[in-house]
Amino acid sequence: MVKGPLLAAGLLVLVGLLASQLVLRTLVATQERHLREMALLEFAGIEATVGPFVVRDDIWEMFDLLDRVTRREGSLRPLRATLIDPLGRVIVSSDPRLHPIGAQRTEMIAAATSVTAEHYDLADGEVALSQVLHYQERALGKLIIDFDTTGFVAERERTVTFLVIGNALASLFAALVGFMVMRRVLRPIARLTNAMGQGTDGLQPIPEQSIPRRNPEIAQLYDNYNRLVHAVEERNATVKRLAERERFVSLGRLAGTLAHEVNNPLGGLLNTVDTLRTYPERADVVKSSADLLDRGLRHMRDVVRATLDTHRAAPEATALSRADFDDLSLLIRPEAERRGQDLHWQVSLPEGAIDGLPSGPVRQIALNLLLNASAAAGYGGKIGLRLAREDDAIMLGIQDSGPGLPDHLRARLLSDAPVEPGGGVGLRLVRELVQGMGGQISLGRSPEGLNEIRVQLPLAAEGGRDA
Amino acid sequence: MVREYPSGRAGPARLAAMRLKRRMFMAGFTASMLGAPAVLRAQPAAFRFGLTPVFLDNDWQLLEHLRSHLRAEMGRPIEFVQRRTYQEVTALLLMGDLDAAWLCGFPLLQNRERLAALALPLWQGAPLYRSRVITSAGRAAQDLGDLRGDIHAYSDPDSNSGHLVTLSELLRRQHRPEEFFARSFFTYGHRNVVRAVARGLAQSGSVDGYVWDVMRRHEPELVDQTRIVWESEDFGFPPIVVSRDALETAQSQRFLAALEAMPRTDAGQQALAMLQLDGFVLPEAHSFERIAARMRIVAERG
Repeated sequence: MVKGPLLAAGLLVLVGLLASQLVLRTLVATQERHLREMALLEFAGIEATVGPFVVRDDIWEMFDLLDRVTRREGSLRPLRATLIDPLGRVIVSSDPRLHPIGAQRTEMIAAATSVTAEHYDLADGEVALSQVLHYQERALGKLIIDFDTTGFVAERERTVTFLVIGNALASLFAALVGFMVMRRVLRPIARLTNAMGQGTDGLQPIPEQSIPRRNPEIAQLYDNYNRLVHAVEERNATVKRLAERERFVSLGRLAGTLAHEVNNPLGGLLNTVDTLRTYPERADVVKSSADLLDRGLRHMRDVVRATLDTHRAAPEATALSRADFDDLSLLIRPEAERRGQDLHWQVSLPEGAIDGLPSGPVRQIALNLLLNASAAAGYGGKIGLRLAREDDAIMLGIQDSGPGLPDHLRARLLSDAPVEPGGGVGLRLVRELVQGMGGQISLGRSPEGLNEIRVQLPLAAEGGRDA
Repeated sequence: MVREYPSGRAGPARLAAMRLKRRMFMAGFTASMLGAPAVLRAQPAAFRFGLTPVFLDNDWQLLEHLRSHLRAEMGRPIEFVQRRTYQEVTALLLMGDLDAAWLCGFPLLQNRERLAALALPLWQGAPLYRSRVITSAGRAAQDLGDLRGDIHAYSDPDSNSGHLVTLSELLRRQHRPEEFFARSFFTYGHRNVVRAVARGLAQSGSVDGYVWDVMRRHEPELVDQTRIVWESEDFGFPPIVVSRDALETAQSQRFLAALEAMPRTDAGQQALAMLQLDGFVLPEAHSFERIAARMRIVAERG
């Protein structure tokens, strides 16, 4: 939310820099024009006077003239003036110690800038300008005047300092104002962003009293947002309901199996009771009937207990153990047998290898996946469960010989896409449980060539990432 | 800015050059400000006094005191006439365009048949002065002979101390002046010789010893950049010269009396103080003998 105002401030600074550059360029051009005008006047003044002196070789008058030129006060003062003959020898200089009469100064001519040049280099604090002087249409020689440009340099430095400070202040002020204005303009958006992006809290609706009705565009944006929030809430509620229903559907199916499992031995047990009534005096019959009743009732007790354990109110409270997989085997075996399916059970972990995982969710995950596998494998198919240790996780593999997980069921298991009602019982429930334990689900094939849904659950030492 | 004197013989180019000279500007300034109007100037009442750089003639305050004293003593307006060279002033005097001039002994002797000395200034108690050859203060040269190969600044071709003495001294020492110095030039003023040497335009110069001393008080920062390498014998001080015909006229005698009266008036005293002179005395027959001797050395060489 700071980016926009910062961008505005940056733009203002950029404009300030460009304006400063323009001012400096104009200053340089003005200084060069000023110097050119001054220099041309100076050259013209000397040219008008020096001619007869040169012709008469009147050294003193030439020196006196050049000396007076360099004695003027003020900025742009000529520092020294030197007259050089066409052969490059000094005729006279206002600084005779530096340029004695007769000294060869060809290099000085080469280094000087013509007074008519387009640009002068004023940065060194001194610039040598030259012009050929004529008298009665005869070239007398070249006059070189060194001008003191320290005043110009100082003026430039002052201007740069002023510009830098002025621009910095102006830009800062403008940037601050821009920042405030942009912030004010973007405040409704910031509010919206806050309402949308508070971590896991989800979308928060904007209260009616906070909607600026004077600003119709923002008000409409907020209204639309609030509608969106309600729609999302409704959708979430629906998903929750669907998940609950799946849970009940799976429960219902299990209940059917359970009823079947209880019902199957029930006929035999009742027959045994009849046998007992018919032959109460035959000790061998009573004993074998009692044994039969005992086995049948124990089996029923085990089935009921396993069911209760799976669906108990607080399943996370108990730690996972090998016994849980025995229960699962007990619960799924009748379903497999009913379909004439071959059940492969590979739980060969040492005791304690699966410590740290809660029993309830793992049982639900495994049971749901096994029920689905059984349904997918069809009559006479193969299903299986494989439990293995992989580094700091356990791998739970549920196998089936079915045609593979169709796309719409795959989406339930592997993504958060909305759930369509029907089919794939409990797959979204499995996904939620696995996510809750910090695990991952993937699809693959078992070494026997069966479809395999692999669930990796981390063995968090601290007791789970998301209890 | 500059008034052209009716008596002037200078060409336009000469005047254009002079226009830029501060010295001449000052002269023109004083002439135009203090000199008599053209109508009055035509009257014989104005006394025309020619000045040369034998003294510091660029000090208008000095000229003002001098004029004030002379006007009061003579009862006539005084017109100062300045030219760049001794030759020009001498010519004006010879032509009768000047009533008197402060000249050097050398041009006086050159025209001894037509000019005569009216009075001699007294400097440090005597009507004598010396020529000096100077060089820059930091230079090791000890004698005139050490200056071989220099660029040398002379004052005026007709100046005794600023030209004749050095020239004759070199000849006396068997040097050829035109070969002894690599180059020489005239500055037309003793003060300019000091400036040329101080600034390094010339490595050495010939200067009037009296002017050098006076300048030392007025412009020590300039004179201290120079030092004396050689000093001549005494010569008769640059005299006040009149036409030989006018030597005994009442006008000349009044002028002489005015000069002699200088120590007795305020303006005269102030002028003398600025000139650092004690007064004026009558010349003696042998006053310029030594200059004549120097002239003979040059003349013998041909």
